[in-house]
Amino acid sequence: MSAIDRLSDEFSRLPGIGSKTALRLVHHLMKASKDDTRRLARALVDVADKVRACDVCGNFSEHDLCEICSNPRRDVSVLCVVEEAYEVGAIERTGQFRGLFHVLGGRLSPLDGIGPDELNVATLLRRIDGSRGEIREVIIATNASVEGEATSVFLEQEISPMGPRVTRLARGIPVGSDLEYVDGTTIAQALAGRREM
Amino acid sequence: MHLSALSLRHFRNLRNQELELPREGVALIGDNAQGKSNFLEAIYYLETLRSFRGARDAQMLGFGEEVFRVVGTTEGGDDEPRGVQVAAAFQKKGKRKKVSVDGTEPDRLTDALGHLSAVIFSPSDVDLVSGGPSERRRFLDIVLSLNEPGYVRALSDYRKSLSRRNAALRAGQPWSLVSVWDQGLIRAGAEIMVARRDWIGTRASAFGDYYARVSGGRRARMTYRPNVSLEDAASTDAVEHAFREALEAARDREARRGVTVAGPHRDDVRLQLSDEGDDLDLRDYGSGGQRRTAALALRLVEAMTIRERRSRRPMILLDDVFAELDGGRSERILELMDGEDTGQVVLTAPKDADVRIRRDALPRWRIQAGEITT
Repeated sequence: MSAIDRLSDEFSRLPGIGSKTALRLVHHLMKASKDDTRRLARALVDVADKVRACDVCGNFSEHDLCEICSNPRRDVSVLCVVEEAYEVGAIERTGQFRGLFHVLGGRLSPLDGIGPDELNVATLLRRIDGSRGEIREVIIATNASVEGEATSVFLEQEISPMGPRVTRLARGIPVGSDLEYVDGTTIAQALAGRREM
Repeated sequence: MHLSALSLRHFRNLRNQELELPREGVALIGDNAQGKSNFLEAIYYLETLRSFRGARDAQMLGFGEEVFRVVGTTEGGDDEPRGVQVAAAFQKKGKRKKVSVDGTEPDRLTDALGHLSAVIFSPSDVDLVSGGPSERRRFLDIVLSLNEPGYVRALSDYRKSLSRRNAALRAGQPWSLVSVWDQGLIRAGAEIMVARRDWIGTRASAFGDYYARVSGGRRARMTYRPNVSLEDAASTDAVEHAFREALEAARDREARRGVTVAGPHRDDVRLQLSDEGDDLDLRDYGSGGQRRTAALALRLVEAMTIRERRSRRPMILLDDVFAELDGGRSERILELMDGEDTGQVVLTAPKDADVRIRRDALPRWRIQAGEITT
């Protein structure tokens, strides 16, 4: 197998990339400067060698603790639980959340054989328990899918008896959208979750 | 509103054809195994995006073909001012289904359902009456999916929760891990039960009337038989509560058998003869003719639902339905359809003589070996 074939074969294993796109990427790299291509290669090697899961929360990190866990200015009394590490970024970009995170690494999915033991649930419960009441609220930010909802029910069952307040992200009308174009289920959820003005 | 044009590509044995359909409808005449039912299947595919005969998409590909495509264009009328073009295609490779409405792909396939407002009557409808409960649930699910906003989503959520809950039960997981699926199951399940109960409740008398008119005066009843007892459970909240209690009660049995035993996935619709004070189940005691009549009455109620819920005149597809009914019943059905507020009629028959609907006013087309001559 030639170097070109090998690279395009590697590209085509990535999500959303078929064999034609893979070849196009390879051709692009061959036309680009060798420095650019080497920089890309080094970035890939760095991701593979340096990025791992944070010891505490499971977020992407280059050290034992991720930037969020090691930041002394974060509010340690609020914990936000997400399914995947890349969802941490989505919440961080809002700039509205100053607490800490916990990454489950998935959701309950018995059809795929995924139960609490396959997720970072034990570490979450130990973390809450070990905080001796310092964690006062746990926000469950799992997705609004059937599996995400079941996961939130499970976590609520486990966490509530330990003391913290357990909350769930609100669901409703996307900001800036016209009511007319929002689907019925979302409007129904928004109606059920309406609040006093 | 009516179907004004139909384009066919590699759909079963049908030749690639561009057809223009008359506003009143058409009678398709041809011998057996020439493609009459395939023609109706193609039209109805545009309504539900699946075969009315329960065939998989791949089975509807023409022999040796890779892609089939059906495109229907409707023209507006007084019931629906705007026409629409629905295109549905299936590709064997990757089992890809592509649907577009007026040239754009909808976000979800279910958004493309119901554009023809059609009802199909076929000889296999008798299975609705003589078959098992799953046949009747399937009928309810199709009718309600097409006519009740939110039903499709509730059904899909219910099935997702059910399959995961069953997987948890099968794997012998502790109850705390089985019951996490209950909230989703109960919420969606209650919506389904309420919709089914309302539909049957408000249309039971219409079913009885249609049955009486086709049978020449005999009586029949339709009642909802929910798996979860809904007595005194009027509101959706009360239905949710009843479902939760049924799951509680079934807990030991479910743990033992490794499957969810309570819920609307075990509902049934009871169809009974109610002649001489005795209620006899049509499934067990009905004659062939009585069962076929009850099936017809169900389809007529379906057409009525389209009129009521979508304010459209339903398009009627009749697949050789008079073959197995006696002359009296056939006459009464034709009279009934002429009298009801129905839209376009497309019917198939083996012989000219069978076609008397609309006082013989339907143009006749012929079909031979998949080729339609107009």
